[in-house]
Amino acid sequence: MTAPSLDALRPALEGVVASVIATCDADGLPNVSMISQVHYLDPERVALSYQFFNKTRRNLLATRRASVQIVDPETMRQYRLDFDYEETLTRGPLFESMKAKLAGLASHHGMEGVFRLLGADLFRVLSIEAVPGPTIAHTAQARPLLAATRRACDALDACTDLEELLDRATEVLEAQFGIRHSMVLMAEDGEDRLYAVASRGYRSSGVGAEVQFGEGVIGVAAREHTPIRIGHMTREYRYGAAITETARRAGLIDGAPRAIPFPGLAAPRSQIALPILEGGRLLGVLFAEAEETLRFAYDDEDALALVAGHLGARIAILRAGESDEDAPTPGEKLPLAGVVTVRYYAADQSVFLDHDYLIKGVAGAILWRLLREYQATGRTDFALRELRVDPALRLPAHAENLDARMILLRRRLEERQSCLRIEKAGRGRFRLAIACRLTLEEPA
Amino acid sequence: MSSSFVPATPLNDLAAWAAQKPAQSGALLTPDLVALAQSGVSVTLASSTSAGQPIVGLGVGCRVRPDGTLRVLLARAANADLLAALKDGRPIAVTFTGAPDHRAFQVKAATAKIAEPLSDDLPEIDRQCAVLADGLVEIGFSRELAEGYVTYEPDDIAAVEFCPERVFTQTPGPGAGAELTR
Repeated sequence: MTAPSLDALRPALEGVVASVIATCDADGLPNVSMISQVHYLDPERVALSYQFFNKTRRNLLATRRASVQIVDPETMRQYRLDFDYEETLTRGPLFESMKAKLAGLASHHGMEGVFRLLGADLFRVLSIEAVPGPTIAHTAQARPLLAATRRACDALDACTDLEELLDRATEVLEAQFGIRHSMVLMAEDGEDRLYAVASRGYRSSGVGAEVQFGEGVIGVAAREHTPIRIGHMTREYRYGAAITETARRAGLIDGAPRAIPFPGLAAPRSQIALPILEGGRLLGVLFAEAEETLRFAYDDEDALALVAGHLGARIAILRAGESDEDAPTPGEKLPLAGVVTVRYYAADQSVFLDHDYLIKGVAGAILWRLLREYQATGRTDFALRELRVDPALRLPAHAENLDARMILLRRRLEERQSCLRIEKAGRGRFRLAIACRLTLEEPA
Repeated sequence: MSSSFVPATPLNDLAAWAAQKPAQSGALLTPDLVALAQSGVSVTLASSTSAGQPIVGLGVGCRVRPDGTLRVLLARAANADLLAALKDGRPIAVTFTGAPDHRAFQVKAATAKIAEPLSDDLPEIDRQCAVLADGLVEIGFSRELAEGYVTYEPDDIAAVEFCPERVFTQTPGPGAGAELTR
């Protein structure tokens, strides 16, 4: 006999219809209550949300047995499951993914502040019984996610540089999964922070927008190295508030804003964030959102996790080949029209063009270094390699995200449509394209 | 939401319990709980086997007799093990949960009796199911989903009868699960 498997029951474990849990005390006196979450863990285990220390909790600790009824919302088929309690987790990836899901459910039920996850109770499934009763015909066509995933991975394989690859990642989410709003954020070397490098479906690209670890579904996915998904709108995982605070803090230096607004939807109801990992290391986060509720189910999470995993592998492969460097080619000299004042603030490595904020951090320091050399020598052609070893840039020892930084810098300049651009100039090379006179200032 | 809306909290349940007398002399439930139980709420049940394994079940409605006896109506086929346990004299727990305010209470008794449905049970189940379906639509269910959730087979109904011996507030929040005592 094979062990009972929960795999086919996952639609019933999304929390669409509340589940019911029965327990009993040592004397066999039963207790029955609703339970917010029965979370799929693997084919033989679930985690239940522990929110209050109540009779259910006391009974579980005393007798370890639970009988739970769940409902598949697509067919109304019901299942009765017998569980054996194993342990309670109060932190870590599983806890955080349940906490995020619960925040969405709480807000949906007007229970924000009441539903709070105290722990994730792990159970082993002893038996699964289909409960006899009326069901409804399931008419919705299942999305062929496996085929979509394969096509998405194929499309990523065709990319030959990082910039193309990151853009393609958001394109395939739309083309293969119908996800219209998405972005790729990369982790900052040595910092608990991510920044957006590619996005799709937003009024402003938001390239350069920062998310701290732990902030929203993106920041939690990054910190915990686990997919995080929410099916209802919730304030707790919004970026708006946190980003405003980040912006405020960042802007304190001289009052000018030094942050790029997060480009996300104003009223997202579904969000999913998948860590992009390579050998257990966080490279970034793939993020998608939608205005509909419950847009991303377990199967979508699996599919997108595969895409994010493939993306991580492709990034690693492209980076491994990064040492290839083309010979420099002379760029064409542009006629210079007008004057732009470039200001650099060493404190946060921020760069302003005239009075408008452009970028800060490593990308700001890179731009400043390039412009100073251009000013001194007229040089416009550079190799990534020389930036990597430049002590003045204060790069971490293994600054693997330098390529992503350059994409960010190039895009920010493009979006500003200023007379100052950075162009690719072959493998491992890039070129300053300057069409105005520059005045460089470094206020004390 | 109307201006007279009182949010359901365990503390409000305790206050309402203290402010009322039992609906029937010799019985336990207050008039508001008697009303809530019959107002189209979700009805969930539990018993246990003699080996101490809990058994969960779902009801389709509830009626309260003039003497305070609860008659919980449920599908036989779906609750075969639960009914067998009750027939063996095992204890019962029933929780009533309202939508959309989540106001809930639980009753328990040492034993329950299994009875046939009465001629007027089905129209009352239909009424309660219709109200519950509306409540589910109000909290975001599609109409199809809500109707599907409350569908039952009229030929497959049993009644479980018992007098509540203990009552607990089951509304979510601080104090949830507290026993309501005299």
